[in-house]
Amino acid sequence: MDLLLQLLATGIVVGSLYALCAVGWGLIYGTTLHFHVAHGAVFTLAAYYAYVAQHLLGLPLWVAVLAAIVAAAVSGLLIDLLIYQPLERRGAVRTVVFIASLGLLIVIENILAIVFTADPKPIEVGALKSSLRLGPVYLTWLHALTVAIAIVGFAALVLFLRWSRWGHAIRAVSSAPEMARTVGISLNRVHLLTYALGSAITAPAGILVAMDVGAEPYRGTRFVLLASVAVIMGGIGSLPGALLGGLFLGLLENLGVWKIPSEWQAAISFGVFLLFIVVKPRGLFGRRVASADL
Amino acid sequence: MSAYIAHYLVMVGVYGILAISLNLLVGYSGIFSMAHAAVYGIGAYASAIVALNLGMGFWGGLVVAGATGALASALIAIPSLRVAGDYYIVASFGLQTVIVTVFSEWTSLTNGHAGLPGIPRPNLAGWQIDTPFEYVGLAVVLTAFTYLVCRRITHSAFGRVLQAIRDDEIAAQAMGRNVVRVKIVVAIVSSALGALGGSLYAHYITYVNPSSFQLHESIFIMSLVILGGSERLAGPLVGAFILLAIPEALKFLAIPDSVAAPMRQIFYGALLVAFMFLRPEGILGREKAKVKS
Amino acid sequence: MTPLLSLRDLSKSFGGIQAVRGCSFDVAPGLITGLIGPNGAGKTTVFNMITGFLSPDTGSIRFRGEELRGLAPHQIERRGVARTFQHLRLWQKMTVLENVIVGCRTPLGENVLALFLRAGAVAAEEAVAREHAMQVLEFFGLADRAGELAESLAYPEQKLLSMARIYASPAEVLLLDEPTSGLDSEWLRRLVPIVRRLTESGKTVLLIEHNMELVAELSDEVVFLHQGEVISRGKPAEITGDPALNEIYFGV
Repeated sequence: MDLLLQLLATGIVVGSLYALCAVGWGLIYGTTLHFHVAHGAVFTLAAYYAYVAQHLLGLPLWVAVLAAIVAAAVSGLLIDLLIYQPLERRGAVRTVVFIASLGLLIVIENILAIVFTADPKPIEVGALKSSLRLGPVYLTWLHALTVAIAIVGFAALVLFLRWSRWGHAIRAVSSAPEMARTVGISLNRVHLLTYALGSAITAPAGILVAMDVGAEPYRGTRFVLLASVAVIMGGIGSLPGALLGGLFLGLLENLGVWKIPSEWQAAISFGVFLLFIVVKPRGLFGRRVASADL
Repeated sequence: MSAYIAHYLVMVGVYGILAISLNLLVGYSGIFSMAHAAVYGIGAYASAIVALNLGMGFWGGLVVAGATGALASALIAIPSLRVAGDYYIVASFGLQTVIVTVFSEWTSLTNGHAGLPGIPRPNLAGWQIDTPFEYVGLAVVLTAFTYLVCRRITHSAFGRVLQAIRDDEIAAQAMGRNVVRVKIVVAIVSSALGALGGSLYAHYITYVNPSSFQLHESIFIMSLVILGGSERLAGPLVGAFILLAIPEALKFLAIPDSVAAPMRQIFYGALLVAFMFLRPEGILGREKAKVKS
Repeated sequence: MTPLLSLRDLSKSFGGIQAVRGCSFDVAPGLITGLIGPNGAGKTTVFNMITGFLSPDTGSIRFRGEELRGLAPHQIERRGVARTFQHLRLWQKMTVLENVIVGCRTPLGENVLALFLRAGAVAAEEAVAREHAMQVLEFFGLADRAGELAESLAYPEQKLLSMARIYASPAEVLLLDEPTSGLDSEWLRRLVPIVRRLTESGKTVLLIEHNMELVAELSDEVVFLHQGEVISRGKPAEITGDPALNEIYFGV
């Protein structure tokens, strides 16, 4: 029983990380319809930005983290500005944008691998690594912070989308881009903002993981894949769905360890994904997947 | 024929089969797969396993490879293509991950990370394929076969429907075509053929292990398609000729392996991005995105 | 005459806007029925529902007594109801002939196994389809453009091609979405007789028409749709001569 609770707790922590990635990726995908695999590179970059800020620039931890989040947001924005938007201006279809995104992910990851080598680069968090005990469950304060950030970050994003003018613009573009354009909303600007926001909410995940086990160049690929699975299961266009999807995957992975060797975790998640799309292709809260433009 | 050049040609054949079959899927049907390395590996392992454990000959191994590749592909294509192309991307990403896990962890079947050595050389009704020259001949035959099969498919009524789907999928549906079924068929054929490349590889190198079939290999195969050009069926073969020559050329520069491997990846990744700007034809179908600023 | 195509109580709303409500009418076989009404009357929405691109909120669509509602678009075409699109949706990078051949049925040529195991039969089927497609092109006056890419055709010719494409199919009911829009009077003079002749081989036509004057020339029967409802139907002269309907059509 204790083991189960421990796995549940770890599952929630990991699920929070996946949730942050899923919400960010899902926001971008739902608004721009770009299959932005390079989001994994932004996730990874955030960790290295924090590492560089702390170790090379000597900034205090929280300044470093904040700077890293901002830098990650800018990075995501630049990817849209310098790669995706120019491609679309040339009439690129979505497969073209995807291939460019994939290429970008590969390039960035491997540049980081050369610059920083594949060895994990640590981010010193001092007291955060001290243990936190909740009954039979052993965690660290860092883990608790992870869950807190996921909740707060998600809430902040939802509030922003609901109450701010730019938030409304994003939602308009997300549900009816043509209509949004006729009302005078600049799709380009909204896309840039979406990329910045989506990157900003995922960046903490990359940083938190690096705080726990060090920054690694190739980690982002796995996270962005899981993010896309979470978004599909939660329903495209639904941020709560993405959150729940991420949490579910985290729980699945960790509870799965109870009976199944950890190497097979990914296989289990993927198998569940396939079953899910057979049974509920729209996901939990999804709107229509493809809208025929007649 | 120098053994060196023969080796190059055989590998061009292997990758030619992989890239031509991937092109059928990506270039001709607009469906993107991240799992072609997994398919490659399925063909290699299936072929190796039946040869080592059941004593099956080369042709039998080919058939098993093709069938296993087809089956694995059907498993992800049927549920995901029913919904949307993006679901297939995710599903293929997942398949790639799972298959590598199978190769690495299902040790009773695949011997895990140690791999399967001692795969017998092909014996075609008494004719033992031994010399590099003979392997080149076999590679040529299999590559030609793959090309001709793809050609037959694309230059037919089926190919016409494929083009119609690429140009305007809604109109294809309105003209009575079951677009989902067509895409599933293409995915299955593409994987069956790709698996043949794995079979050729396994019997040539006579050893397979999981490291040859990772995600970065899928990226490499994709680069062959992009570089060689996806508008022509044989374009990727040209890509194979070019890109396989490069590592050899790079060997003259003394770069440590820890840097060389990421550098190669950067090159392939940059190639993908660059070509999306410079030559998106073939991948570029009818403009489906409704939003352009 | 038993109606070939029968719509009962169709309705559809989009986020609060009722596009179609209680729409019911029959389409008699072998005739041209015109669907007319002011902009936004819901005509294309009705087409989209018949052909499975939109699912109705309520109602039924029966073709030869069989319910079409819930079927996918490709299944509906196979059952015998084909449509053109307002935006044409031709396959621009394919030739004129290829666009039409896709209208024909080539089940063997589209079966991957048959391509390799029954090559002879596949070739024979292709020859028959080609022949049929050429005949259709001649009917539409496009035979001399057969080898050209669809995108190289002028707009009026593209409109003809989109009709040729569905005419080549075995579909009995042809839904034409605004076949005359965007055409000048010279092209209209050429097009109207062709549309009239579509029923020669026994096909049935339901067309959306904008122009009250043209609808009289084109149709045997007219259905008037306004704000999503059928408010009148009858012979063209009755409809176009009705002052109340004219007021709705041309009015505010």
